[in-house]
Amino acid sequence: MTLHRRGFALAVVVLAAAVLGSPAWAGVPTEQLKSQIDRVLKVLDDPDLKKENRAHDRRASVRRIANDIFDFSETAKRSLARHWQSRTPAEREEFVQLFGDLLERSYISKIELYGGEKIGYIGESMDGDLATVRTRIVTRHGSEIPIDYKMHHLGSRWLVYDVTIEGVSLVANYRTQFNKIIQTSSYAELVKRMKTKQEEFLEDERQRRTSQK
Amino acid sequence: MERTRVNTAVGIFLLLGILALGYLSIKLGRVSFLGASGYVVIVDFPSVGGLKAGSNVEIAGVEIGRVETIRLADYQARVTLRLNADVKLQEDAIASIKTKGLIGEKYLKISPGGSDKLIPPNGRIREVEAPVDFEELLSKYIFGKV
Repeated sequence: MTLHRRGFALAVVVLAAAVLGSPAWAGVPTEQLKSQIDRVLKVLDDPDLKKENRAHDRRASVRRIANDIFDFSETAKRSLARHWQSRTPAEREEFVQLFGDLLERSYISKIELYGGEKIGYIGESMDGDLATVRTRIVTRHGSEIPIDYKMHHLGSRWLVYDVTIEGVSLVANYRTQFNKIIQTSSYAELVKRMKTKQEEFLEDERQRRTSQK
Repeated sequence: MERTRVNTAVGIFLLLGILALGYLSIKLGRVSFLGASGYVVIVDFPSVGGLKAGSNVEIAGVEIGRVETIRLADYQARVTLRLNADVKLQEDAIASIKTKGLIGEKYLKISPGGSDKLIPPNGRIREVEAPVDFEELLSKYIFGKV
């Protein structure tokens, strides 16, 4: 009986996996991406971390996972584009840190709005050391949002360097913005702006936390 | 004698007119039949939505080449660009299809990258951004909320 039940459960899991994604074609990039996204979903579903006062821990663990699958230095380099060449190693390091903070502010805080949307893995295409994993988020209203992850091969791992949502590339977006700021003022001004934004954000966070207590 | 001279003048005039017309049509039609200059790069788009052969290729709004051909390859649109020889593209340059104004013509915009590797002639731009389909986006907002 238990064997029978277990067999049934297994069949359900296999069926669910077949429907929700990760089909037989799934290559290494998709597998690696999926395992990290699953980790994020697990953190978000964790009832212990869902409590109001644990929002900070929750964000910290999401960022830790993001560091495992995203290559922030490559994303920063591609976003800064031509201006990356003329930066010193110290400046580059500082910029990657600031850029990581910027992404955390704008995206990881949004991820907390996640409410059980389904993620489907549509396909994968590989081109030398680059790969694109196409996914789709199905919202509760039933509309689909296509999200493509551009990944590159580094050592034994595939790391994401760009995300395309609805055909709009993250790197292209920041590249235009950074270029405009640097052209109209200077690189120092860009760094200054990013720093003040981050400080304001941290200040906001601090106030929110003290008001909660 | 007089008649021959008039005839010759008319002949020369006519010939000059035909030459001028030929020059004009080549210039206006942007036909390059004396061996095209510059170099060729390939870009694959999931969709070109309105881009045509002859469309502009721009960096920072400055024309740096033209779309030579667009054809289907593996259910994707393969766009061949002819770029001016003095324009160098980095390996991580991004090609995106943009619209002039809200409903203007389509053109191809390239945002230069930061890599030290350059795309060689007959190479490929690997980073692309497909055009945003406003109708599709709109329909999502109209029909999306059930």
